[in-house]
Amino acid sequence: MIETLIKIFLFGAVVGGIWGLVASGFSLIFGVSRILNFAHGAAFVSSAFLAYALVNEGYSLYFAVSAGLMLAAVIGVVVYALTKPVRDREVMVIIVTLAFALLVQQVLLVLFGDRGVSIEPFVEGVAEIGGVKVTHMRLLSLALAVICLTALEVFITKTNLGKKVMATAQDSRAAMMVGIDIEKIFLFVMVLSSLLAGFAGILYAQIFAVNPEVSLRALIYAFAIVILGGLGSLRGSIAASFIVGYILVITITFLGARWSEFVMLLTIVAILVVKPTGLFGVEE
Amino acid sequence: MRYAKAVLTVLILLAAITALCAQPEKAEREKVVIGVIGPMALPEGQAEEKAVKLAVEEINAQGGILGHKVEVVVGDTKLDSNTATSEFRRLATVENADVIIGGFSSGVMTAMMETMAETKTLFLSDASSPAHAQKVEQNYEKYKYWFRVSQNNGSTFALDLADMVKFLRDSGYEVKKVYVIRDEHVWTDPVMEALKPLLEEMGVEIVKDVKIPRGYSEYEQLILEAENLNADLIMPILAISGTGDILVKQWATLKPDLLLAGHDLSAIDAELYEKTNGMANYEIFLADGGALVTAPPTEKCREFVEAYKAKYGHYPESHQAYGAYDAVYLYKMVVEMAAENGEKDPFDPDILVKYLVRFNASNPVQLTRTIAFYDNHDLMWGDEYVRNWISQWQDGKQYIIYPPSVANGELKLPPWIQK
Amino acid sequence: MRWVNGAALILAAVMPFILPEAYLYIFGLAYIFAVMVISWDLMVGYTGQVNLGHTTFVGLGAYVAALLQTPLRTGIAMHPAVSIIAGGAAASAVGLAIGIITLRLRGYYFALVTAILPLVFMQTVFIWRELFGGEEGFAVENTLFTTTLEKYYFSLVVLVVSFILMKKIVDSRIGLRFMAVRDSEELAESLGINTTRYKVLAFVLTSFFAGIAGAMVVNYRFTVSPELYGVPLMLLIILSAVLGGLGTLYGPLIGAMVIYLAKNWWLGDIIRTFSLPINDEIVLYAILIAVGILMPEGLYHEIKERWVKSNKQ
Repeated sequence: MIETLIKIFLFGAVVGGIWGLVASGFSLIFGVSRILNFAHGAAFVSSAFLAYALVNEGYSLYFAVSAGLMLAAVIGVVVYALTKPVRDREVMVIIVTLAFALLVQQVLLVLFGDRGVSIEPFVEGVAEIGGVKVTHMRLLSLALAVICLTALEVFITKTNLGKKVMATAQDSRAAMMVGIDIEKIFLFVMVLSSLLAGFAGILYAQIFAVNPEVSLRALIYAFAIVILGGLGSLRGSIAASFIVGYILVITITFLGARWSEFVMLLTIVAILVVKPTGLFGVEE
Repeated sequence: MRYAKAVLTVLILLAAITALCAQPEKAEREKVVIGVIGPMALPEGQAEEKAVKLAVEEINAQGGILGHKVEVVVGDTKLDSNTATSEFRRLATVENADVIIGGFSSGVMTAMMETMAETKTLFLSDASSPAHAQKVEQNYEKYKYWFRVSQNNGSTFALDLADMVKFLRDSGYEVKKVYVIRDEHVWTDPVMEALKPLLEEMGVEIVKDVKIPRGYSEYEQLILEAENLNADLIMPILAISGTGDILVKQWATLKPDLLLAGHDLSAIDAELYEKTNGMANYEIFLADGGALVTAPPTEKCREFVEAYKAKYGHYPESHQAYGAYDAVYLYKMVVEMAAENGEKDPFDPDILVKYLVRFNASNPVQLTRTIAFYDNHDLMWGDEYVRNWISQWQDGKQYIIYPPSVANGELKLPPWIQK
Repeated sequence: MRWVNGAALILAAVMPFILPEAYLYIFGLAYIFAVMVISWDLMVGYTGQVNLGHTTFVGLGAYVAALLQTPLRTGIAMHPAVSIIAGGAAASAVGLAIGIITLRLRGYYFALVTAILPLVFMQTVFIWRELFGGEEGFAVENTLFTTTLEKYYFSLVVLVVSFILMKKIVDSRIGLRFMAVRDSEELAESLGINTTRYKVLAFVLTSFFAGIAGAMVVNYRFTVSPELYGVPLMLLIILSAVLGGLGTLYGPLIGAMVIYLAKNWWLGDIIRTFSLPINDEIVLYAILIAVGILMPEGLYHEIKERWVKSNKQ
């Protein structure tokens, strides 16, 4: 029994941590610029694929990972540029970002085929915690995710730039009036969020494997998590990531793997029916 | 009066257009057209197209079929039934394909078989559901144009998997308990149904039967559970999930005291070793489609993979290549047989069906694999025909390890196994 | 406008005399697809509510109709015409339930919830696959028509009837209220319009036509499968409607025909002819991005504006 609990705790946390990196960025972009960035999954997979390709070409792992992150940042810039002219039309924002996400997915499909690729892990080996075997890589990625998310929180609440970001999120017009260059803030948030997603993608490819289809999957998860946590609430989406992680793992343990996604989606729909603004959201 | 004139003009115009567009009735045959259809964005479809083109090139170099030049037309299913039926119809009626080769994916195949029946087109196909052959059985006249060439029907995996367990036991690895991980998909049901009694007979217990959805990735928990249940073997039955590579990777990372042996479509991919950074080592799998690049079962197969490499710069990207290549030669053979027997139209699909069924258990034909058909036009299964050879990844190479008649390697246990 | 409509209709009617059967088949499917697109426009273009889950209702209609006319699975053998209507009715009933829950809220929530819906419904196909046939789907037994010619005309009739009905709706007082909701919910409410009720009404109508279209697909190609719930189909619907111009019905209709025929016919030919190292989806998505940025109002509005301008000069 204890073993089962440890297993649920650890595995749920790892899944939650990775999706937390994706969802927090998605949430941040929406909070600041009111853009539903459907291309968020593109950064997730592209960075992983580039890192994989470079490792295969013989470059070192860390160089490959840095290059992957660079690509994620570039995708952030592209999404910023694409959405700028249509920012005030919500339908168009959704359509343009979604189309871009699918474009990237198809390009990856043409380049790499539909099969999964994995990146060699930062650390090898297996640890045993309370009788449960856990790979070092999983523990490391949990630690990295927690560090990134904490750093993000500190950055937003404590630093000067972070406060500008928050101010823009609360009221972009007022922020503009007090002299904040909100375009710069938008761009910055877009790049930062894409970096987080790209990093998550690389961790994901080390523990699991990515294929082009995963981009849509990452988007759906981020999406579901952000709705669950409440649109625009950074803390809400981080909390919701872990909730989703635990729902997944508990379902796998007690109900069977086949139900995992169905139960997750159903729970989210159920929560939305009861509390349509999500767990931590505020009604607009 | 003016009205009548206008109507007459319109009618004449229409008639002229119709006459222009209508195909001339069975004019002198100038060429043979072979259609190839598949998901062209995926390796399965691309392999089919390349293999057919290679075969056609070879045949044209030797004078074509009955002296006619052979031409290839391509259709893309995009794994979508609407698109697939439209494309099949285009190949059959606009491009006037004499035969269509390919397919892939059971649902799309089910939809295309309706178009095939309507257009009466010979269809030498790929896809693994037993339901397709059952259709032929139930309504022979309607569906007789369909033959399965690429691989055995999915339910035969039960026989191969049982043989796999038996082979492991005979090789000295004791198997008492098996942990099954399989696709949440209709194709695995008949496999499981047939496998259960076979394993029971051998005294092997299935400790758990886990179904996973498409895109599933959390295998580590399942591996740990299998270890806790004292399983000797994790048996994947995976094709649709698309994440067999994650299973093998996590198995190699956790190094549990049990083997990974079963049917995993991703293991057949010749690049799996590279894509998993070598983690695929020691996975035991079934070579679906009856051929491997590193272990070709026939001389023709050996020549084919080398010719493929020479033409395209790489080995076949999926096992659909063998079936598609064989299908072209099969078609050439039956047309020539029909002509030799003095058939009036040796390209008539109704007649060709009669010649194709002559390749039965006692009269197989050796191409890249040894091909024969059952009465329901399904591909014949067996050591002497095509089966899903028991194979293993060893240091970056795939070896067939059973049956001995085609094996080119021996079983190797992973170093971390203590049993 | 009238003579353009008439000419288009005549062209569609004589198409079978001009085109080979295989292309006729694609045209028929394009008509059904157009029903999906214009019904999406009814909701999104006229009430301004972004519905990302239109395929939920396409799939629902398809599966309901398929099950009702396949005795082998359900023991029910309804007349196909009845089952098509039943598919539409089932879709609109589900639309009503979902609409009541989700359309009370403003802003993004409706878009978000509807985006998840098709995923949930698609899961049901895999989980209860004894009934729904799982990934493979299943073949439908007694269908309305068998020859391509019959099917072609039938889908043409369904498209024309659906289009006329929807046009009547948007031109009526109900349609005016839809647009009032779209233009400003606050204003509409202050005028005494119950905005939630009209949004739900639009959702029920849009779902009904989507369900009909789904059921038509089943009767057209004789099989049903989960891709009818799929995201790619949803995207194609959005693409066509946006390209054509939202809130016009005519624009989405033209967009649907052009996009569907391009995707399933012309683009493939072009790419094969030049053996380009890309696939047609890349081309389509690139077009979508370009249209979205360069003329976010859609082609219909763009052309109309130019027309008006040039007439003034």
